[in-house]
Amino acid sequence: MTGTIIRKEILENILSYRFPLFLIICVLLIVSAFYVNYIDYSKRLNDYNEQKRLSADAIAASRMWDVTSGSVALKAFRPPAPLSVVAYGFERSLPLYYEFQTDGFKAGETSVGDESILSILGRIDFVFILEMILSLIVLLFASDMVSGEKEMGTLRGTLSNSVPRHALLLGKLIGGSIAVWIPLLIAILLGMLLLDVSPYPLLTPPIPVNLLLILGSAFVFIFSYFTIGIAVSASTSRARTSLIAVFLTWIVLQLIIPKLTDVIASAVRPIRTETVVSMQKSLLLKSLDEERGKILGERYEHIFGAGAKISTEPGTPEERAQWDAFKKEVDERYKVRKARELAGIDEKYEKEKEAQRAIANSISLVSPSAAFSRLVTDLAGTGELAKLGYLDAVRRYSTTLQEQLYSHVDRTTLILPSGGTASMSSIDKMVDLHTLPAFTVSPQGAGEVFAADAGSLISLAFWLVGPFIVAFVRFLRYDVR
Amino acid sequence: MIQALDLTKRYEDGHLALDHLNLSVQPGQIYALLGANGAGKTTTINLFFNFIEPTSGTATISGIDCTKNPLDAKRHAAYVSENVMLYGNFTARQNLDFFTKLAGRKDLKREEYYMTMREVGLPERAFEQRVKTFSKGMRQKLGIAIAILKQAEALLLDEPTSGLDPKAAADFIDLIVRLKTEGKAILMSTHDIFRAKEIADCVGIMKEGVLIMEKTNQDLAGEDLEKIYLKFMEVS
Repeated sequence: MTGTIIRKEILENILSYRFPLFLIICVLLIVSAFYVNYIDYSKRLNDYNEQKRLSADAIAASRMWDVTSGSVALKAFRPPAPLSVVAYGFERSLPLYYEFQTDGFKAGETSVGDESILSILGRIDFVFILEMILSLIVLLFASDMVSGEKEMGTLRGTLSNSVPRHALLLGKLIGGSIAVWIPLLIAILLGMLLLDVSPYPLLTPPIPVNLLLILGSAFVFIFSYFTIGIAVSASTSRARTSLIAVFLTWIVLQLIIPKLTDVIASAVRPIRTETVVSMQKSLLLKSLDEERGKILGERYEHIFGAGAKISTEPGTPEERAQWDAFKKEVDERYKVRKARELAGIDEKYEKEKEAQRAIANSISLVSPSAAFSRLVTDLAGTGELAKLGYLDAVRRYSTTLQEQLYSHVDRTTLILPSGGTASMSSIDKMVDLHTLPAFTVSPQGAGEVFAADAGSLISLAFWLVGPFIVAFVRFLRYDVR
Repeated sequence: MIQALDLTKRYEDGHLALDHLNLSVQPGQIYALLGANGAGKTTTINLFFNFIEPTSGTATISGIDCTKNPLDAKRHAAYVSENVMLYGNFTARQNLDFFTKLAGRKDLKREEYYMTMREVGLPERAFEQRVKTFSKGMRQKLGIAIAILKQAEALLLDEPTSGLDPKAAADFIDLIVRLKTEGKAILMSTHDIFRAKEIADCVGIMKEGVLIMEKTNQDLAGEDLEKIYLKFMEVS
């Protein structure tokens, strides 16, 4: 029975004028989005390779001192995510690189500046097409599946047979979804074919698996919008009312909730900007360096006498030994203090950001689109996880550089009580820059993504099951007269 | 057999649509239900197909309670409405295929569909034509074809000739009479007093949910059904 209804739904959709229209829209949008984003990915990959090569050349031509003094910067480049052709995510707003300094790291430029004003309209990728265009079309498709058939009278004809209502609804859901997925799959396959004939690493792990997971998520997303449409249709008796209701539902779920989440989260939990935090850290470093400089300057004059000349070998060997011991103890103390206080600022800021992010995430989960975006961009390696993963890798690399490179450089500024300042720099071990480990950032595996995006998965599951139950309950009591 | 026993329907807003209706249609009989719009004719048919549930009383088809076992009951009944609504993008054969499969007949061949369509008088060119191009008469014929292929013992028709041109209506009535001779129990609501008298074995007149008159064709022999009908309609 359900099989007959499924076949009828598929055939009815295929024979309607909507099907070829939907097929054309899907093929045009998806194939062109795959192509345009592939071109963009290739360009970014070339840029990445070129920048990495130039940076490596600059480092190869430099000495340790050039790097530690900051005249040549060590940089951590992030390779563009291959699956950005499907889900663009934060790809353009992420820094192209992070630059390392003796006292930490800072973000390099992004490629946002290269875009035209039209980019404010949003970038066309598979996720955008699904969320902004296909979700609406699917809702419109589903909106008349019950109320439209009631108006036409075919629902009475169908239910005059021994058809259980649950079987009829199930058949409509499955058949309607398959009919929607046929054009979508054709378009996706054409898009992938295009990628396959291009020099794109389509079959290089983990791309195929992640791509399949993205398509699976897309199926759940589209199916959830389909069930929302049917639930609305089964709650109204006229196709026109149903159409207005699904349109309003789409606006709320698709436009209002996702856009409001960040605004609400910022209002509920305001946080400092990155720039303010960076300035606070700079001020802290400056103040600690000054404090250290004063202590050292005072002791320098105490040991070597006021007005003693600043040199690498001042005073007698005994005086130098006394100075070295004192300086070592002060350096160690301030090194620990600096690290502790900087970590304190970072930790506090991360907590603030995490709290704000948690609020935004929780609110956004009310919308299937927000949950879908988060999950898919994370699977594509262009989402929140990629952003945090990049930053974490940079932090780890910074610690490595501190241990293996910057800790061997001592740069001290003495603030002398008799007036004036003096700077001393020394290197206790020459480091061959080629021996430094290369920066790597590995993409998150599917398991990590699912663990991190459990909220999104729950939200999608809710939007899959919730409207399904509503549709069933409403349809079992639906007045077919 | 189609039977209503004290069948009553009162809607949630308090409106009494059907008040203790009792009627019985035997195999090989046509029962014509007459009445003004809102008299309860369609409500009666809705109750037999469980489109709505009765407030009290029972509706049975072939002895099966339509409320308690609606799916079983519907296996034995076919429905033709005033406007047989079909899937416009499907051809006549595709519509037949869908509805007969729903009725549980999954083994029919294309030729059998064609044969039934010929039987109800649909032109050959219409068999594989999209139904959205069909006239109302053609749709009604296709509706009857669906009912025939369902092979149900009972046939419930809701104003099936309303809006048909005289020729189409006459063709349709011929089909109904033929089905009667095949032993079907037919309950037909209609506004067509003349046809009702001509073909029905029993005529019932409904007013405001009540069956106010029921006569067999023998009782009506020599009587003017139109006058009787109008007399009942005038009585307040």
